Amino acid sequence: MSNFNDLLRNENMKIYRRPRTWLMIGFLVLSLLLMSGLMKWDEVRNESPDWKQQVTQQNLVLQKEIQENNKIGPDHIESMKKEIKLNEYYLEHNINPNEQSMWDYVNNSAMLIILVTILTVIVAADMIAAEFTWGTIKLLLVGPASRSKVMLSKYVATMGFALLLLIISFAVAFAAGAALQGFGGLNLPHLTIGADGIVHEGSMVVDSLQRYGYAIVSLLMYVTFAFMISAAFRSSSMAIAFSLLFMLVGNTLTAVFSSYEWVKYLLFANVDLTQYLAGSNPVRPEMTLSFSIMILIAYYVLFQFVSWLLFTKRDVAA
Amino acid sequence: MQATMEPVLQLRNVTKKIGRRTIVDNLSFDVPAGEVFGFLGPNGAGKTTTIRMIVGLISMTKGEVIVKGVSVRKQFAQAMTHIGAIVENPEMYKFLSGYQNLVHFARRHSGVTKQRIDEVVKLMGLQNRIHEKVKRYSLGMRQRLGVAQAILHRPSVLILDEPTNGLDPAGIRELRDYLRKLTQEEGIAVIVSSHLLSEMELMCDRVAIIQGGKLIVVRSLQETTDSVQTRIIIDVSSPPLAYQLLTESFKDMSISIVGKQLELETDKARIPEIARLLVKAELDIYGIYSSQKSLEDQFLEMTGGEMVV
Repeated sequence: MSNFNDLLRNENMKIYRRPRTWLMIGFLVLSLLLMSGLMKWDEVRNESPDWKQQVTQQNLVLQKEIQENNKIGPDHIESMKKEIKLNEYYLEHNINPNEQSMWDYVNNSAMLIILVTILTVIVAADMIAAEFTWGTIKLLLVGPASRSKVMLSKYVATMGFALLLLIISFAVAFAAGAALQGFGGLNLPHLTIGADGIVHEGSMVVDSLQRYGYAIVSLLMYVTFAFMISAAFRSSSMAIAFSLLFMLVGNTLTAVFSSYEWVKYLLFANVDLTQYLAGSNPVRPEMTLSFSIMILIAYYVLFQFVSWLLFTKRDVAA
Repeated sequence: MQATMEPVLQLRNVTKKIGRRTIVDNLSFDVPAGEVFGFLGPNGAGKTTTIRMIVGLISMTKGEVIVKGVSVRKQFAQAMTHIGAIVENPEMYKFLSGYQNLVHFARRHSGVTKQRIDEVVKLMGLQNRIHEKVKRYSLGMRQRLGVAQAILHRPSVLILDEPTNGLDPAGIRELRDYLRKLTQEEGIAVIVSSHLLSEMELMCDRVAIIQGGKLIVVRSLQETTDSVQTRIIIDVSSPPLAYQLLTESFKDMSISIVGKQLELETDKARIPEIARLLVKAELDIYGIYSSQKSLEDQFLEMTGGEMVV
């Protein structure tokens, strides 16, 4: 009977032997390099010789704004005060905030995880549906492996592909950052102001990984969704279309209906966990981090269950 | 024929219903090791559905398929170690080479070595182009690659759905010889469905004819070819007279006039007797031909003359 590792190797072979996969990886690398190049170009353009004076000037403007403008809300004042505090910290410790470090490149690459998600959705959509389109499903399933095992190997291979793309993103951004800015910023602290109002020095790696982590949540959900559609309709184009549609329309949809209570049960309203970070507001005021995590787990289990049911229980007739 | 051997494949009351429609109705038959078993039926008779139930692509509503004592329904993965199959066209991964395709299918089975892959490649005559991408293969080559894929793990039962589709006559002959070799040397049971009746006649030891999801008959082709009952056509000067004469003398014989000839079914031993009778009655005989009933005639007769595709 089939060994799971061998099934996984088969699925990997089918992903990485396709020229398309390497086009996608090339496209991702190109996008990362382009982004890094633009960041460098932007930095050079805005370079000012005396950053200390600039920061002092900025603080003066902010303070004036707080004192003279009565119309701004307390939230805004709070954030401005935090900015002043950070600027003072920069001056005190002689850190140029305008100078990009390699970590800024890595952090910005986290924004490109949407691209990783789209590429993985395309692969996930093909995982089951393409076997039906090619007709190879008949040979694939007539083997000494249960359908559940075949499906799991496909899911794990898809996730492996996502992981590969994430590692590539991180590595390319890191390398581009190092090439353009040098390794000088490697040990630069990540500055935040905690609830206590004091400036904290954190680790940049941890901050970057955190950004990646939040982005991976939505990646996991949308890819699993695409996988389900792929199993349900046995059509890649439908799986890609639905997943991308939801990704693009989801946020708008939640924003439009955010006044209704049921919105909080939608996948889109919960997929972005950064809404619970300090300084941002969740879609609905009553939503909490643990609530969102529960909803996400529920959706994840539902997607997996439906995929499994449709893949293992249905006849392969056509 | 080795019908006395333990059956490697058993179908027991296999039934498939979709909604209220019964597609396959209580099908039961055994296939012993070393036999080429043909599966025959008009379009929509349930051939493909039955084959897909044997390999687990379609679930059974009722019944059991047992391969070497293992139930396909209950122990699917284990039963599949004994089965090799091509269901309909042998669709392969076109972006992989023939060899990579074989590696893909070999990996699913434990104990298929590199040597075994090379051996099968040679056996199917693919060694010259095995490292080319499958998209550049002709249909015949894909068919051979499909068979190669199906026999990699030395299955006990080989299932071929319409295997001669798209093969040229030489390819069909090759496949036939190869199937013979497999059944005789390795004791594999082969189940073939085909729309080419003449092919089935040459290839199979036994055929099952199904229609409307029901098994009509399982018949041995050896029996039919050696059959004592043959059809005799007599070209005689006055068929009506001969007809009258013969019906009087042989009450159990089925006789008919077809055109200007007399057609009758009888055993060979009676031909001289019939001739003598006609000569005595001073009828002129221009010829006596014996024609064996082909499988096609039998088949058409049994299925009520429906077209076979």
